[in-house]
Amino acid sequence: MIWLSWRQFRLQAVVAAAALAVVAIALLSTGAHLSALFDSNGLATCRTTCSTDAVNFNNQLKGSTTELIFYGSTFLMYAVPGLIGIFWGAPLVARELESGTFRLAWNQSVTKSRWIAVKLGLIGLAAMATIGLLSLMTSWWASPLYDAAQKGGGNSFSINKIAPPLFGATGIAPVGYAAFAFALGVAAGVLIRRTIPAMAVTLVIFAAVQVVMPLLIQPHLISPARLTAPFNANTANEIMISSPGNTMTVVGNFSGPAAWVLSDETITPSGKVFTGPAGSACLSSTAPPQQCNNWLNSQHLRQLITYQPASRYWPMQWLELAIYLVVAAGLSVLCVWQVRRRRG
Amino acid sequence: MVWLTWRQFRWQAIAAAAFLAVVAIVLGVTGPGLVTRYDQIGLPSCHTACAALAGHYINDLEFTTYGKLFYAGLVVMYLVPALIGIFWGAPLISREFEAGTFRLAWNQSVTRTRWTLGKLGLIGLASVATAGLLSLAISWWASPIDHALSYGQSGSHFLRLSPLVFGARGVAPLAYAAFAFALGVTAGVLIRRAVPAMAVTLVVFAAVQILMATLVQPHLIPPVQATAPFNANTANEVVMTSNGNGPLTMILKGNYSRPGALILSNQTITASGRVFDGPPGHACTANVPQQDCNNWLNSLHLRQLVSYQPASRFWPLQFAETGVYLVLAAGLGALCTWQIRRRRP
Repeated sequence: MIWLSWRQFRLQAVVAAAALAVVAIALLSTGAHLSALFDSNGLATCRTTCSTDAVNFNNQLKGSTTELIFYGSTFLMYAVPGLIGIFWGAPLVARELESGTFRLAWNQSVTKSRWIAVKLGLIGLAAMATIGLLSLMTSWWASPLYDAAQKGGGNSFSINKIAPPLFGATGIAPVGYAAFAFALGVAAGVLIRRTIPAMAVTLVIFAAVQVVMPLLIQPHLISPARLTAPFNANTANEIMISSPGNTMTVVGNFSGPAAWVLSDETITPSGKVFTGPAGSACLSSTAPPQQCNNWLNSQHLRQLITYQPASRYWPMQWLELAIYLVVAAGLSVLCVWQVRRRRG
Repeated sequence: MVWLTWRQFRWQAIAAAAFLAVVAIVLGVTGPGLVTRYDQIGLPSCHTACAALAGHYINDLEFTTYGKLFYAGLVVMYLVPALIGIFWGAPLISREFEAGTFRLAWNQSVTRTRWTLGKLGLIGLASVATAGLLSLAISWWASPIDHALSYGQSGSHFLRLSPLVFGARGVAPLAYAAFAFALGVTAGVLIRRAVPAMAVTLVVFAAVQILMATLVQPHLIPPVQATAPFNANTANEVVMTSNGNGPLTMILKGNYSRPGALILSNQTITASGRVFDGPPGHACTANVPQQDCNNWLNSLHLRQLVSYQPASRFWPLQFAETGVYLVLAAGLGALCTWQIRRRRP
């Protein structure tokens, strides 16, 4: 059974190995330059006030190939699980059903349940190993960027591993995505029984899950931390006045440690969201903007921020992995059950 | 023939139409907000020194839903031609081979050549139309952002001319879709099995897109050359490196910039015309203020030698890119027809 699985999976495995080798060569040949740049900017040895070094480092990278490789590898981390689902998962059983070879395969000494279970298990493991290796390689390559972002105080190069899109492109969560995509592909193939429609359906469902998950579910996996801070108009990110009704939208400047900010509301002392009306200092066209800022500061507004702190990166990664693995296991059980009950 | 093509293509057409409708709704709902912000910040009435306003506009958008949609628009615009090649192109004829239905299809009153040309033409047109509608919608939605970016420095990866955005705007995506479709059909005809043909289409298309964007695209029209004095105080990069025990070398990069232009290379050359690589003077190696090093650099009368594509070249470059891909697509279409003609049923 193992031999049969390997024999039918050979070409896909060779393609995956070749792709991994190409990525490894590309990352190895550019990674050395990146860490040399990291060292030459003094970031390796700096202990305190590293932010100037980090800014210099990032400025040298802006617009370089390094930036493109960084975006490219992030994109790859999202694309590879999808491709595994489409090209490894969907055709696995659908091809046998479509071409009629299932009649031969299911009438051997190996039972149907074992046949499907071994296929799911072995190729599922291969899928997880592929994305795991890719995640290790890209994490190693990008580690100077992550370190610089951490030492520089967060916001440089807009790297934030706790927030999407990087959260799903690093660590162990991608392993869960690959397992899920593969099981989804197999299940679509078993249910639809035609290869190409199964591939299309796999792509659509996987893409939808990957969009919905970080938008709606991921932020609330662990209930977010809350923080209030005094609002300062002089450093605010946004002060907008809409003219009918003179309503104001003000967004403060949250400068805490790296975190995934989920909401940032400005509230009045009584606790409701501040919407104006704007004071006369803000409406006069002749008064300098500072007067409007002073008026805002006299209102004793506060910022109410909900966020996921960076320290929750690993707990959230494990949780994400667990959820996807459970769903993948559920889909696998569905596949086995469907294959068992089908007449050979 | 038209009816047969439609009948076999129905599901793909419905899926594409549904996808286009979803995209149109998302962009239609969010687009006006983008324009409102653009107007509120005063960019339409700005005539001189708009770079600061434009930078403000871009920075405000960066972490909002608009920023995410901008990136998503780029991703979708690159994915759709690839998906057309994989799901419309590759199975088109390989499915007939695989299932044996080509025997029936090729023994009708319609000749094989007409059968192939009809399928290639009609579904090829549908591919181009899908990519065209999508490009129109996304280019319209992103036009305030593209416009604001063109005021700023030349370094951004998201300028309309930069390889990343160039292929996701204007008419180039139409030609990508035509090429991807023809590539998929050709892979199917040559490999005769649907799933391997789909995989090959994906790999070849991705490789062609990357090679075109990095090697060919910037040189479709010869870039403009310019020289400007080098000023160390405003330079983008002043780096000293030592290679083991060898002498110190310097890498300098000036801040030459034209609004919306794509800088392809910026070398710092000495008065005699060769590329400056050091050695750094005493003012740069001693523990003295950075300004001393800058003054020393400025006393060398270095110049920047820049080659770039000006912003006005956007449409000529788009048409050149479209032409290249359409020629490739036509060549692949001819190859398919020829292969099918010569094959015994």
